[in-house]
Amino acid sequence: MIKIENLEKVYKTEEIETTALNGINLHVKEGEFVSIMGPSGCGKSTLLNVMGLLDKPESGSYKFIETELLTLNDRERSNFRKRNMGFVFQNFNLIDELTVFENIELPLIYNKVPAGERKKLVNEIIGRMNIVNRSGHFPQQLSGGQQQRVAVARALVTKPKLVLADEPTGNLDSTHGNEVMELLCELNETGTTIVMVTHSSHDASFSNRIINLKDGHVISEKINKGRTEELI
Amino acid sequence: MFKLNLKIALRNLWKNRGITSINVGGLAVALAAFILVTLYANYETSFDKKNPNYDQIYIVGRILPDLKTNYTPPPFGKAIKDNLPEVENVGVTKVGGFEFAISSNGATIFTKNLLRLDYNAAKMFNINPTGGLNKPAGDERLFYLSKENMDGLFPNKKDNKPELVSLGSKSAGQTATVQGAVINDKHSNITFDALSIANVLGEGENYGYNNYNTYIQVKEGTDIANLEQKITAMYRAELVKGETDKSVLERVKEVSVFLDPLKNLHLRPKAGTDANYKILITLSVLGLLILVIACINFTNLSIAQATKRAKEVGVKKVMGAFRFQLTIQFLLEIFMQCVVATVLGLIIAEIILPQFNNLFLVDLAIWRMDNVLIWQLPLILLFITLIAGVYPAMVLSGFKPAVVLKGNFTTSKQSYWLRNSLLVVQFSIAVIFITGLLIISSQLKYMRSQDIGFSANQVVYIKNIAYFTNPKDFEPIRDRIMKIEGVKSATVASGIPDGSENGTNGYTVEGKEANIDFLDIDFDYFETLNIKLKEGRFFSKDFNTDTASSAILNESAIAKYGLKNPIGKIIRGCRTDYKIVGVIKDFKTQGFETAIQPTIYTMKNPCGNSKLEIMLKVDESRMSEVLATLKSQWSDINKKDGDNFRYQFLDELYGKLFQKQEQLQSVFFAAAILTILIAMLGLFAFAKYITNGRIKEIAVRKILGANDLQIFKLINSSFFVLVMIANLISWPLAYILTKKWLETFAYRIEMPILPFILSAVITISLTIITVSIQARNAVKANPVDALKYE
Repeated sequence: MIKIENLEKVYKTEEIETTALNGINLHVKEGEFVSIMGPSGCGKSTLLNVMGLLDKPESGSYKFIETELLTLNDRERSNFRKRNMGFVFQNFNLIDELTVFENIELPLIYNKVPAGERKKLVNEIIGRMNIVNRSGHFPQQLSGGQQQRVAVARALVTKPKLVLADEPTGNLDSTHGNEVMELLCELNETGTTIVMVTHSSHDASFSNRIINLKDGHVISEKINKGRTEELI
Repeated sequence: MFKLNLKIALRNLWKNRGITSINVGGLAVALAAFILVTLYANYETSFDKKNPNYDQIYIVGRILPDLKTNYTPPPFGKAIKDNLPEVENVGVTKVGGFEFAISSNGATIFTKNLLRLDYNAAKMFNINPTGGLNKPAGDERLFYLSKENMDGLFPNKKDNKPELVSLGSKSAGQTATVQGAVINDKHSNITFDALSIANVLGEGENYGYNNYNTYIQVKEGTDIANLEQKITAMYRAELVKGETDKSVLERVKEVSVFLDPLKNLHLRPKAGTDANYKILITLSVLGLLILVIACINFTNLSIAQATKRAKEVGVKKVMGAFRFQLTIQFLLEIFMQCVVATVLGLIIAEIILPQFNNLFLVDLAIWRMDNVLIWQLPLILLFITLIAGVYPAMVLSGFKPAVVLKGNFTTSKQSYWLRNSLLVVQFSIAVIFITGLLIISSQLKYMRSQDIGFSANQVVYIKNIAYFTNPKDFEPIRDRIMKIEGVKSATVASGIPDGSENGTNGYTVEGKEANIDFLDIDFDYFETLNIKLKEGRFFSKDFNTDTASSAILNESAIAKYGLKNPIGKIIRGCRTDYKIVGVIKDFKTQGFETAIQPTIYTMKNPCGNSKLEIMLKVDESRMSEVLATLKSQWSDINKKDGDNFRYQFLDELYGKLFQKQEQLQSVFFAAAILTILIAMLGLFAFAKYITNGRIKEIAVRKILGANDLQIFKLINSSFFVLVMIANLISWPLAYILTKKWLETFAYRIEMPILPFILSAVITISLTIITVSIQARNAVKANPVDALKYE
């Protein structure tokens, strides 16, 4: 589904140039659950941002089901993103002024889904995520695990082809972290492709494939056998 | 989506309600000031605008070698009408000279402003009495009263029938028929409280009688410059008709005629003062600056708050929102706040309006259907939304989601320069107002404490309509008045020192001719006003010639003629030779703005004005008794003036000369308070954000051993620098502006330094107090709590 070739990204400050991505090649199949690991500053978040069309690389190619995405303009990128991608962040990034229901509803509004349909979809996912009795609450009134479940629900409500998760358990204790990982696995089992950046080998063990980055290069790839069999 | 955005906006505003109130409140106060200024500007620029011929009416004025005047001779109008086809209509008016009583059977009123005008002028200015405007028959004069006066005399009158009234003293038996009432439009250049309409004014008076105003109404598309030339040529020809003297023919070329459009007359007349215009410009600039300061607050606080909204922007962008949508969202949010501020502003303006009307002697109202504010207000609203909102909306909507969603994002660097510059601008404006206020106050203090050369204290000015032009006529009146215990002296003159202008005429001494002011006075004039003698003597009954051919000059007149030993010299004017018997020290009859005019004082002047103004010096302890006695005996003392003893205190009249400056002082006081208040409100909120942003830094510094004072210093130092810069920027500006203002005074203070230092001290101390209040929370907080967030 995803074909990334020779991706390069350089950050420039007044004096220093930092190469964040240095000729990255990466293929992700539909339905795969890929973890990206590596030390701090290795470029894993940059790669995720480029995949999510939140950042632009200097050169290379990024094809999503045969569509080249790097030539799109800002508007086209926005449109592509809202139709095909969902995001889960380490710090949840829920809008504090909106309730759980309204936060989940937000991407549907941007996708111009009619109100009746929106209500149905949001209620459905709230049920699935087990947060029904929280739908009128504001994010500050929820625990971290609950907040991340809302964030996952928000990422999934538009039924995206690709979910990008940036350290989804980074701010959670192990119990809540496991809950979120199980949620992602369930989601993957229903066919959603997931790319996750993580520091945690434990979290990575939930995925089919683990890619290790260092200094902007892919230095190794490991197939997680148990999970891959499921994929096959 | 709109609903959701609205929810976010409202919840956000509510969450930050403290800041929101400061933001909206500050803007509301500024808007209130701006609304009042706009109302005032609308009013001032629309005098006579209701006149259907507004753009076609011009006043005819004359330019003399040392004078520009709107006074013209009565036959001039007719000559223009007869000879120039582009002139459609000519109207002539003459303002009344003095106050007199009008009585009905039950009531008496005093008309102060009787306007005489010919029928054409009445038509031109849409004079519309109850029952319609009638053309006078032949020599008939139709007499009308203003609505207020008519209601005063005949409170129960329902019909339009003429009424018989008596004029002046009832015992004099003079009567007149009032045809009806006319609404006196105060929003016009033509004002009156009584009207006399004739077919022709000034019949029989020639080109020497320049006591009338001539208005012309031209056909559309008339070339005014060309018409001016034609009228000038005509005027010169009329002046030298039958004249053969070459020098006269040559000198007439120095005289010309100008046309001044009706729309200029109130604010910027070619002849006369443009003080109204200056006040309007000053007020408009003040209003605009205050609004700018409030908008700056808005911009600054919105950007400061941006950090809090960054996540929202990032999330929305990730969800697929376009930048354009977000820009609109933020603009709408700011627009909503501006709407609330406008409504509050209107309420505040309504509350202050009575004081404002009082100060500027106008009668403005907000809630009137014909108020142009109805369409101006939405424009103002749009304008401030754009000014205050565009930049923050652009900054906010421009956030990169990949950066802001990491969660450790700050805006401080991005808009650092802009926010600091805006703060500097705010404080610069405040400093200019404070300095301005202090300098205006110093000048006023100087004016109040300076020796004006005469004493208006305990001088009673009696309004009188009996002529005392011949010194003998006043003698019996003076004798009667002096019999009242407590009266120290009594005199009569053609003018009082209340700022009113004297007449001007050409006088010659030792072959040197000059135009100087003249004033016709009586015995005891200088004594009553306590004017100092420089040399020679005052007028005295011991010298018979004083009532006929003696003159006293002031120092300025002596200087103008360059006389060495003036006493005994002859000064000739108005076909009379006067002997100079005394020289008085200069005294400021015109206040402080105009230089003391060279003036000649005589008791008899064939070209002079009628002597009507009676002045008495009264013993302070006996003032009320004297006034009571005068009131009871007045009809007997001064039979021609009659039943109505009316007086004013001269010091109050003279004090009115300071009114304009006091007005300015009030405006600057309000503006200085407002700008400082709004700037401080902004700073208060802004400092909160700055200290909140530095909580971690403060905690670390405290753990490393910094004490409270050092932390206060640290937080205050950047603001201190900004306010110092603001002071440095605004000092030269304030210097130039106040110097220009001071130059409008003939008698003024030296530019003081203290106001500049004081405004720096005021702004710096207020800043330190404001910032320290905010910093206190950060300083007092336990550093461990601050670092826990990490």
